[in-house]
Amino acid sequence: MCGTVAMEKRALNPLGNAGAAVCRSLFGPVDREELQAEYRALLRRDLEASARRWGFDFLNERPLAGGDFEWEGVPGAKVPALYRTCMVGQQRGAPQGEQGGKENEARTPERTAKPRCPESTPEKSPAQTLKRKQTNITDFYQAKRRLVATPRKSGQ
Amino acid sequence: MELLCYEADTVRRAHPDPNLLYDDRVLQNLLSIEERFLPQCSYFKCFQKDIQPFMRKMVATWMLEVCEEQKCEEEVFPLAMNYLDRFLAVVPTKKCNLQLLGAVCMFLASKLKETRPLTAEKLCIYTDNSIKPQELLEWELVVLGKLKWNLAAVTPHDFIEHIMKKLPLPSEKLPLIRKHAQTFIALCATDFSFAMYPPSMIATGSVGAAICGLQLDDGDRSQWGDNLTDLLAKITNTEVDCLKACQEQIESVLVRNLRQVRQQQQQDPRGPRKEMDELDQASTPTDVRDINLYLK
Repeated sequence: MCGTVAMEKRALNPLGNAGAAVCRSLFGPVDREELQAEYRALLRRDLEASARRWGFDFLNERPLAGGDFEWEGVPGAKVPALYRTCMVGQQRGAPQGEQGGKENEARTPERTAKPRCPESTPEKSPAQTLKRKQTNITDFYQAKRRLVATPRKSGQ
Repeated sequence: MELLCYEADTVRRAHPDPNLLYDDRVLQNLLSIEERFLPQCSYFKCFQKDIQPFMRKMVATWMLEVCEEQKCEEEVFPLAMNYLDRFLAVVPTKKCNLQLLGAVCMFLASKLKETRPLTAEKLCIYTDNSIKPQELLEWELVVLGKLKWNLAAVTPHDFIEHIMKKLPLPSEKLPLIRKHAQTFIALCATDFSFAMYPPSMIATGSVGAAICGLQLDDGDRSQWGDNLTDLLAKITNTEVDCLKACQEQIESVLVRNLRQVRQQQQQDPRGPRKEMDELDQASTPTDVRDINLYLK
């Protein structure tokens, strides 16, 4: 059986380099600047397509005139936690919408291009937190408490 | 008292669910939605300028090696190739970015199918650090957008159990047939000529090739009726002629690959391996049972 598996592996591998390292660069060096430019262009095009489709300017968080949809602002606190803008890893001071309730859309290149550090908790700044009406950490605890409090349904 | 922890390195898998595998509606639903996940066009002819079929083969071979070395679930590789083909059918891509795309596709497929997915860092190491994790994550978003976030594509693997349970096969042979069919599916994913085929046809052809290769079809003719192919074709509503052609194509790709392996071995200055000498005595490389015998 071992032999068969080895044979199959080699049959699938026309290079037959069983011993050679799998770690390899196939098509030479990547042009980093070009790659970055292409990435931004593709994301921008994606965002433009979304803007047309939904009649909404996701960059400036404003409804566009003449779209198929009618947009209505809703206070962030009124939408389920799932839909609120997540603070983790986002740059502070980025122009976030006050109304929250954002569509799950491709991010703007400007926002994603910035280095993210998901590990670090944003510094405390009561003014901003208040302004954004976001209480994500609390939401998390609430959810957890609810989970623990749920009685077991089965008779285990 | 000593305590043992069994969680160590075992991957947790769900048991096969009879509600999914023994209900014909599941098979019918798979058949009705599978076309949605095919690439939009045969992109080498109509679309791509910088990349060619042999480059797809190069990146596919590399991806398969990474998946094997990382012991990924069988579905990860064909699913990643499905993403790659669907992306290439809509975005003109430069050859120097093809490996990045392959890595991104493996990253996504692994996250969808595995309990312990491949990490971005690991994948970057496999590109000999020619790409950075940050780039991988950025392009992940681009690929997701172009795939319209439709990641749960139907793959040939989804059909294997449905097909096998409808065939009168001896239960002790099932694991070997499954293993060979999976190998053929991976083989098809490396070859662009199969990229536009519906997954059910590839699955049916692969099971057929596996059974023929193991020569399980000629012992007791009566149990198959006249023709295994007819029976297989009926299960997945495939045209008999298409299925025959598909199975033959699979077998010829296998022969071609085995021949390439052999040439490679002969050119190897270290001399041919022992197993390859022995393999040469086998009359037909497509006869997987022979390979099995010679290599035992």
